[in-house]
Amino acid sequence: MKGYRKYFGKKILWFVLTFIIAVILNFILPRLMPADPVAAITGKLAQGMTDTSAVQEIYQRYAEEFGTDKPMLEQFFIWCGKAIRGDFGLSFSQYPRSVSDIISSAIGWTIALQLPAILVGWLLGNILGAVAAYMKKGFDKVLLPVSLFMSNVPAFGMAVILLVVFGVNLKWAPIAGGYAYDMIPNMSWRFIASVIRHYQLPFWSIVLVSIGGQAVGMRSMSIYELNADYVKYARFLGIKDRKIVGYVFRNAMLPQVTGLALSIGTMIGGALVAEIIFSYPGLGSTMYAAVTAADYPLISATTLIITIMVLLATFLLDIIYGFIDPRVKAAQID
Amino acid sequence: MKKKTIALLLALVMALSLLAGCGGNDNQTPSTPDTPATTDTPTTPDPTPDPEPAPEPEPTTPGGDLPRAETLYFAGQQWGTVNSWNVIGTNQNNAMAIAGTASGYRTLMFETLYMYNPLDGKLTGLLADGDYSWNADQTELTVKIKSAAKWSDGTPVTAGDVKRTFDIGVQIANGTGSTYGAYISEIVAQDDATCIIKAAVNDAGQPKNPLKLLDFLSGTPIAQTAWIDKVVERNGNDSVSILNDAGDDVVWSGPYTRYYADDQKVVFIRDDNYWGQDASMWGKLPVPKYIAHTIYADNPAGENALKAGEVDVCQQFIGNIQDLWLKDGLPISTFYQEAPYGVCLTMPTAWYNMNIPVLAENPALRKAIAMAVDYDSIIANAMTNQSPSFADVPRSLMNPTDGEQALYDHAAVKDLQWTGNDADGANALLDEAGLVDTDGDGIREWNGEKISLNACCPNGWTDWQASMEIVAAAGEKIGIEITTNYPEYSIYQTVFTDPAQTEYQIFMWSPEAASPSNPWQRVNQFLGKEYVGVSNNWSGNWGQYVNDEADELILKIPTTTDENELKDIYTRLTEIYLTEVPSFSLMYRPSVFHAVNESVWTNFPSGDDGRGIPPMDCTDGYGIAALYDLELVG
Amino acid sequence: MKNTLRQVFHSSKFVGGFVIFMLLVLTMIIYPLINPGNPLEQIGVGTFAEPGTYVSLYDSLSSPTETMRLPGADEKRLVRSLTGEDRVAMVEWFTAAGVPVDDLDMTDTDAMLDLWFANYDVSAKPKGMTMAKRNYYQRLNNNLLDIRAGDTLIIADKNDETGELEEKKQVNKTDYVNIGEVANVKTLPLGTDNFGRDVLKQLVSACGTSIRIGLVAGIVATLIGLSLGLLAGYLGGIADDLIMFITNIFTVIPGFILLILITNSVGQEQRGATLVAVVIGLTSWTWTARSVRSQVISLRNRDHVNLSKLSGHSMVRIVLTDILPYIASYVVMAFILQVSSGILAEAQLSLLGLGPRTTTTATLGLMMNWAMLYSAHTNGSWWAYFPVILTITLISFSLNLMNTGLDQVFNPTLRD
Repeated sequence: MKGYRKYFGKKILWFVLTFIIAVILNFILPRLMPADPVAAITGKLAQGMTDTSAVQEIYQRYAEEFGTDKPMLEQFFIWCGKAIRGDFGLSFSQYPRSVSDIISSAIGWTIALQLPAILVGWLLGNILGAVAAYMKKGFDKVLLPVSLFMSNVPAFGMAVILLVVFGVNLKWAPIAGGYAYDMIPNMSWRFIASVIRHYQLPFWSIVLVSIGGQAVGMRSMSIYELNADYVKYARFLGIKDRKIVGYVFRNAMLPQVTGLALSIGTMIGGALVAEIIFSYPGLGSTMYAAVTAADYPLISATTLIITIMVLLATFLLDIIYGFIDPRVKAAQID
Repeated sequence: MKKKTIALLLALVMALSLLAGCGGNDNQTPSTPDTPATTDTPTTPDPTPDPEPAPEPEPTTPGGDLPRAETLYFAGQQWGTVNSWNVIGTNQNNAMAIAGTASGYRTLMFETLYMYNPLDGKLTGLLADGDYSWNADQTELTVKIKSAAKWSDGTPVTAGDVKRTFDIGVQIANGTGSTYGAYISEIVAQDDATCIIKAAVNDAGQPKNPLKLLDFLSGTPIAQTAWIDKVVERNGNDSVSILNDAGDDVVWSGPYTRYYADDQKVVFIRDDNYWGQDASMWGKLPVPKYIAHTIYADNPAGENALKAGEVDVCQQFIGNIQDLWLKDGLPISTFYQEAPYGVCLTMPTAWYNMNIPVLAENPALRKAIAMAVDYDSIIANAMTNQSPSFADVPRSLMNPTDGEQALYDHAAVKDLQWTGNDADGANALLDEAGLVDTDGDGIREWNGEKISLNACCPNGWTDWQASMEIVAAAGEKIGIEITTNYPEYSIYQTVFTDPAQTEYQIFMWSPEAASPSNPWQRVNQFLGKEYVGVSNNWSGNWGQYVNDEADELILKIPTTTDENELKDIYTRLTEIYLTEVPSFSLMYRPSVFHAVNESVWTNFPSGDDGRGIPPMDCTDGYGIAALYDLELVG
Repeated sequence: MKNTLRQVFHSSKFVGGFVIFMLLVLTMIIYPLINPGNPLEQIGVGTFAEPGTYVSLYDSLSSPTETMRLPGADEKRLVRSLTGEDRVAMVEWFTAAGVPVDDLDMTDTDAMLDLWFANYDVSAKPKGMTMAKRNYYQRLNNNLLDIRAGDTLIIADKNDETGELEEKKQVNKTDYVNIGEVANVKTLPLGTDNFGRDVLKQLVSACGTSIRIGLVAGIVATLIGLSLGLLAGYLGGIADDLIMFITNIFTVIPGFILLILITNSVGQEQRGATLVAVVIGLTSWTWTARSVRSQVISLRNRDHVNLSKLSGHSMVRIVLTDILPYIASYVVMAFILQVSSGILAEAQLSLLGLGPRTTTTATLGLMMNWAMLYSAHTNGSWWAYFPVILTITLISFSLNLMNTGLDQVFNPTLRD
């Protein structure tokens, strides 16, 4: 048990360190961009103003309000102090809206779109991959190239094709927005139905691409396990096929779970393309807008969310693996 | 044992993730209904309880469907979420309620004194009663207020409100204050119904610019005195706080008011107590009960919605718009059936940066580049022919409207005008000016250095980018190296408004479109000295071109009333502009695009219906008159 | 080595991928020879010309004509300008105008036209008719006038001196021109894009650029990933912790933030394809480092490595001779994956407007970006974006197929 404690202690130490450095970088990097967002806000305000000193005065006011006149280090500590309380300051591009307000109205949509899409893609892909590995021959001969082909369609390509075919031409599903254009959100079945209809295209554009990748991965892991010595030994012992297959797929799942955790961790970045192409509300499109507008309070906050999610995912994986995978343990003792 | 642990764990992970999945699914529903609650709660708590409780016109919590047959849908105005409702503030990002210029203020919720009509240049009274009147030396402008005009709380709109709107504007330097503060010395409320707008005068006692006073009439939304006082008080009279006030309790006078807003749409509802149903104004209410604007992510999304009939009025540039009815057979139309389909009021322009010595000192270079550019390509490609060509409307300082075109002597400047794609002429001009290629690398030199320029516009502004590409291609034909550069808009705007910048050498921006003060205003932007050296310059002359003769002429225009004299001045200015070429227009362009889908609503204004309602999206300036004439299809 | 190669080329998957890839490369080499010239030249003045063969109308007028009386020619012409829907619409107009249509035969074109010209009024505004519909009837009326026009069109030229039109030529409905006789004929198999550029020509050139971007990104990412992975895995301890720490930081900070930053700091003008490729490489090496590291960890306690250590060989030599060869196949596969993800990354970045800022070279991402900016997907110009998506998919698919083939050769347990 002592070995474990040491192992986890060390892991946690590194994770905390990574977190701190990542937070610092998330803060500094966007602020190194050459645009001056305070000047941009001043510009909007001072349109048509001819009095130079008045413009300067307004600039000063905003610089003070955003704290951009202070040294970077001081800005950082102020930002950290507030961020702990969930206050990420005011957005530049949507001034005077607060960053927390923008994010809280967007994050629900992203999670609602991505999490089910990732899970469904993962489940369907793994089932297909496993079936292919088990059936071999006919099904597999078709499935592998098809899955591989599907997984190589770029995400935006799949989104555009779905949009054109099912949205524009066949009109099976709406192509933009999170709910119908002629509705105002409320708790009615019609509204929920509308949300679900708008959900279809972005959802399937993510699912279809991920099914392929998952199927390919699961198929090769399953084949690997099916050819493993323990399977041959088990067969030799006359254990029932069904039982062996159960073990095989359970083992093959392990690396797939890693993939699942990581894709959940990186889902905000993954949502970017689908959200933009389908005008779907969410963090991905928010982040994109923030980047093009050099809105660095908003960039810092969204990247911080990504950082935390990825860190959490990898951290949890490390912990779980530390417990269940004897090879990791062995490596640590070594 | 081991295997079992793994299996258990796996089962657990699966169960958890499925649970999370379901949670995610449920999430979509509660996450949105929360939004109306947050947007409707005033973010700035009102410290002073209102002594006289105003009638609460705000309806019960919005929800459910917007009846299609009672709602007019828009696209292309509102981008991003609405920030505030503070009509005297800034950064509202509230395009349907608080936006526009003197050429057409959007009067759905807040109203101006007069409505401008770019088709004939006339001002029609809105809050104002009848015509305005000048005193003899144009130093005082008298405007009467309609007795029927009322605020949403039932109190009458008075001359005092006009005065207060202007005064607070000057005090906190908002758009009104900074645009008109220099030209209006004060506004006097003679009585409740009469206000006198006094022009700022120069040393000789002449008004500085009477035209700007007319702009004020059609470009300034009037706010209620009582409400302004409330905002001033709750912000401790601090300018920046007042500018940033969320204004959730704002009082309005227009026919619509806010109903719902989130990051996907903004909806307005008709105020059935609107004063304008009085016979002295419209005599009726506007037809649609709701005005809704879905917030689309980009142009294609809005275009798709227009095609699908989810948008009735679309303020977006749509390439090859005629395909929508010719090929797709959709019930979509524009103001005119044939190219250019709309009313072009402005001319996106490429400005030469005079901080660059080679540009500042070589008018021949400036003219040669402008002559070599293939404008027909720009118009065919960037505008898909939704612009008259420079053969149809020869280049000058004027927009293509008849009124402005009549202001200068076409014959006098005929030899100076060019239609473009003239590489031979441009090369001859450069050779003559001694700008030649001496080292044989195909690029001309000046003072021993090869002439290399960049052409810039914001990234993602596709029609402008296409134009800059074509400008760069012109450089290639005449031995000038022109590279293109498309910075993000956030960067672009800070650079091109900096009077000392040398980063962008040829760069794009649009001058003023139309308003009572145009074309003077636009000419001033092209040639005037007023804006030279002004930091954070959003006003004009971005290339920092100085010409004393032109400046003197420009100063004369506002007070010149003799038509022939005016024509002489404009003709001379056009001569200077076409000889000196401090900038060159690349195309003509509508100030707002106006395409309508008649799946639900019809009787939109069109070029041949004789009603004289301009294609200003049924919202801007006199264009709002269209809302009162709409009919349902079938 | 030879044996391995033979094995590799016996894998049907590898060969499949290889053939697709080589076909793409061959097209890139051969097509510019057939159709030389600048792929970014703007040949069309408008936007999105449809795929097809374009015949110069001007030149065909001066080409020799052949008179042919083809059966059904009139019929075809009529169908082009007067569709069934138009006929229905005409009847609708008659109904709206109160003209009795009970005994009207809709297939009787002449009767329809007579009735039309007798009753249509351009300025009429029947109640409830939309502006769009009225405009439609005006266009229809113009078409119908054309149908009624005579069999001969006159081509006239303006006399420069008198300013009057002078007849130059008459064109009959039965005149035909041999396409081979026309001086200017241009076939555009994939039409033109928003700038009026030949899409196929551009696609072929962009395909090459994108593969180069992929290669550069793949090389950068693999080199960094490999060296860091080798070091971390072989050295272990503090060095391992430190390298993994850096790797983790690169994993958790979104790559595009780095990308925007780097590209902005070098200036917009330098943001060419190569730079973007390098930056993609710099942000995507982490998983290569991770997997190389874990491979090395499993190798470093093997007997032959220990033996080398005992013999006092230098670290460099041990890594190069005792470790690298064992993971070489793995590295090759990782490289192929990096190449394909590099191509995808460029496309994705360009689509968001963060790709190369170049107007002198075509890349697949930029083609996609411009097509989307000009709403090609909305206005039905499939040729501007679909071939691009297909090309990206094919490149990536062929590389991954090769990879799967290699995987099966090098990991015998994967063979089925």
